Amino acid sequence: MKYIKSIFTLALAIIWTYALHNSWGTLPPLGKLMSPFHGFWVNAEAPESGELSEENLQIPGLEKTVTVVYDEMGIPHVFAENDHDLYVAQGYLTAKDRLWQMEFQTHFAGGRISEIVGEKGMVSDQFQRRMGAVYGAEKSFEGMKEDPKATETLQAYSDGVNAYIESLTERNYPLEYKLLNYAPEKWTPIKSALFLKNMSFVLASGTDDLKMTNILRKYGKAVAEDLFPNYPFVESPIIPVGTPKDFKPVPIPESPSDFIGLGSAMKTPEKDPNIGSNNWAVSGNKTVSGLPILANDPHLTLSLPSIWYQMQLVAPGVNVYGSTMPGTPNVIVGFNKNVAWGVTNVGSDILDWYQVKFKDASKAEYWHDGKWKKTTMRIEKFNIKGKASFVDTIFFTHHGPVVYLSHEKPFKSNIPVGHALRWIAHEKSQELTTFYKLNRAANYADYTQALTYYSAPAQNFIFASNEGDIALWVNGKFPLKSYTQGKYLLDGTDPKADWTGFIPQSHNPHAKNPVRGFLSSANQSSVDPTYPYYMGWQYAPSERGRRINERLEAMSKITMDSLRGLQNDNFNIRARTLLPLLLAKLRSPAGGVYGQAVNELQRWNLQNAADSKGATIFENWVLLLHEAIWADDFSADENVPMNSPSMDRTIKMIQDEPQSAWWDNVKTKNKKESMDEIISGSFKASIDTLVKKHGPFGSEWVWYKHKQTGVRHLIPGMDALSRLNIPTGGGGTIVNATTTKTGPSWRMIVELSKEGRPKAHGVYPGGQSGNPGSAHYDDLIDTWAKGELRSLLYLEKPEDATGRLRKKIILSIKK
Amino acid sequence: MNNSLSFSYQVAIVLVMVVIGAISGLYLPWYTLGILFALLAYILRIPTGRAFALGLVSGFLLWAVSAFWIDGQHPSSLPERMAHLFPLGGSVVGLYIVTGVLGGLTGGLWAWAGANLRLNK
Repeated sequence: MKYIKSIFTLALAIIWTYALHNSWGTLPPLGKLMSPFHGFWVNAEAPESGELSEENLQIPGLEKTVTVVYDEMGIPHVFAENDHDLYVAQGYLTAKDRLWQMEFQTHFAGGRISEIVGEKGMVSDQFQRRMGAVYGAEKSFEGMKEDPKATETLQAYSDGVNAYIESLTERNYPLEYKLLNYAPEKWTPIKSALFLKNMSFVLASGTDDLKMTNILRKYGKAVAEDLFPNYPFVESPIIPVGTPKDFKPVPIPESPSDFIGLGSAMKTPEKDPNIGSNNWAVSGNKTVSGLPILANDPHLTLSLPSIWYQMQLVAPGVNVYGSTMPGTPNVIVGFNKNVAWGVTNVGSDILDWYQVKFKDASKAEYWHDGKWKKTTMRIEKFNIKGKASFVDTIFFTHHGPVVYLSHEKPFKSNIPVGHALRWIAHEKSQELTTFYKLNRAANYADYTQALTYYSAPAQNFIFASNEGDIALWVNGKFPLKSYTQGKYLLDGTDPKADWTGFIPQSHNPHAKNPVRGFLSSANQSSVDPTYPYYMGWQYAPSERGRRINERLEAMSKITMDSLRGLQNDNFNIRARTLLPLLLAKLRSPAGGVYGQAVNELQRWNLQNAADSKGATIFENWVLLLHEAIWADDFSADENVPMNSPSMDRTIKMIQDEPQSAWWDNVKTKNKKESMDEIISGSFKASIDTLVKKHGPFGSEWVWYKHKQTGVRHLIPGMDALSRLNIPTGGGGTIVNATTTKTGPSWRMIVELSKEGRPKAHGVYPGGQSGNPGSAHYDDLIDTWAKGELRSLLYLEKPEDATGRLRKKIILSIKK
Repeated sequence: MNNSLSFSYQVAIVLVMVVIGAISGLYLPWYTLGILFALLAYILRIPTGRAFALGLVSGFLLWAVSAFWIDGQHPSSLPERMAHLFPLGGSVVGLYIVTGVLGGLTGGLWAWAGANLRLNK
């Protein structure tokens, strides 16, 4: 009896402890996590005292001593005596603030999330790998290794990250490791390549070829080309119209034979269309200082920890400040003594699909150019937490990976089955070299030389120098295509459908010091139709670009502050055209909430301000109007996903085609709707939804409460570590492009100086530290939400007279 | 075995448990708290009737007070965030209590188990 009691109580204690030592589903290991000696309590950091504190750290791999000073925002300014130590320090310091994020994002990129979260990460992991993420990273790593400087940089960065990882014990792991119950692994240089490749996923993996083919199959070529034109009706292209061409175009390849693919797939979620960015540079003759000012705000998914990490990197031959991306060395967007640069995404078509004809079920051979050719195979192994590992085979044609076989269900609705993927992200590349050289660029020639190494994701690189130059290169590797090649799914058996070469880099669209005195980009069409090469048919809507260009045209005596105003511009240029058209046709039920809404729209100043009710009504109406016009024709069957025509095309139809057959809702039998009915019906429906959502017309209808901008933690659903319901204005087609989940992820304005003392301001919606227990976790969000910027501290030496430094760390060699 | 212990002896046991628990917490994995409490209960011949309660009180005090102390030394928004995550409606006091209860139950169960092992002697 006594034995039984002993064993029972001991078993109880052991079971209890075992239960608290492990995670159960989404429940974290409570014992480990809550222990004040081991768990999250250890991650709490006291705020800085305001006094300058000093610390000495020893890290292996350094050649000389490195001095680091942190300013009041927690931004490290790194002073090293050579490049090697500079990048060891960058890796170490970035990991110190952002280790979990660096590892999580590269795990995601490499299709390894199921190692952390188990089977539920599997479909996304398989998608990443089938799209060739790891294959592409390996290729790009090969390219990087051809530049000895890039190799050294990557290795030093990796050594720095590992030095930090090795300094950790379980109790001081970043919080997320404790929540998800796993441990960091060793960093390797290829992870930097994976991170960079993932930017192509984020920015350049959008593909409508399947949806366009489905339209082609249902409505025929004439309708597809009419509703989905290859150039917008209203546009203000990035390269100013009339910019002289300084190159002799190479011949364009012959068009492939006509082909109508099989099309079709299943329905699942897709990429957020609101990712886009703004940048511009104004030349000295438009500024008060007489020297160029450059501004950039790349729009990405807003996240905590932020995608960006600010740093100043100083060593002989380099003194650069800007935003880095945790996971890769160098500054990505920033400035040095002489130049400043920034980026926005290019919406060119660098991803095509080829319908594959396999010989038999073995998939060992496929038909191309009149003969059977051999496929190659790549084996991918998945280690799934709590499950047996899984081995997957990917088949490659000479185009690229067959992402899904004909019988498989795709992860996203826009991915065709039975097609091989040809994607620029699979090319060997040297992006690192570009950023290494940009960090050290002194003038326009250095900048253009740096750009020759860059392939993907293609960016509009804006540039300004203290020699007075402003420039913009639409830069990346662009396939040399016949007109509209790859707008629809391509025939994988037709050699004329292959990519046969690339647009020579020196022919990439570019402009320098234009007469108008400014250059800008906001993801709109790169060029006007006189550019000799075909780059793509679909870019971001023109609104942001048009508004920026119209403002910069009108502005003079420009200062950093007036450009800050432009970054935060909330003017709804679409409403300026569209609202009067709609109000003229509107037959609204009189009185009540409908009357109040019409009144509000008539009084609206067309600003998507945070507290605007007009913006809420207009944006919701446009959304429902677009759906009312097109959903019956283009979203009828969820197994046959299609694009809907753009707002540019829709506005054209409202203006010029009131009798168009598209106005009719084909779902209502025996009734033919007119344009006015659709406009009025969608207005009533949109007001009804607003009442349902926000109650009677009143203060709950203000734009920011409707829009619900949030900066969310990278772990989905982790609201406790997120900042939600942030009061900001803007919108997807507004210069201040802040939407529910996306927005300006880094705002920077730089004024260059002849003496090499640039002035700069910047902010991003987050904070330097990735630790939710640090005061620097989200301390910049309020500044960002208010549309303000912080002055950026650009130091010559690790001292500052203005008292902004808070912490000094001496990194010395660990023997 | 005698189940009646003087109050001061019981306080002394709690103090010893708290100190040993704190030292082990700083250097060893979290669950060594339990193992050490079991050993103490065994060595100190704590009666089975009191062992659970003494372990519970010691574990509770150690974890709750430590959490409170850390929060005072390193004020941050993290405890409040965690108190939303769990969910305790953002109540940091609630979080101290939950922390204490987890430490207390761990300490109590192991001390009880330790005392019971002596039954076989």
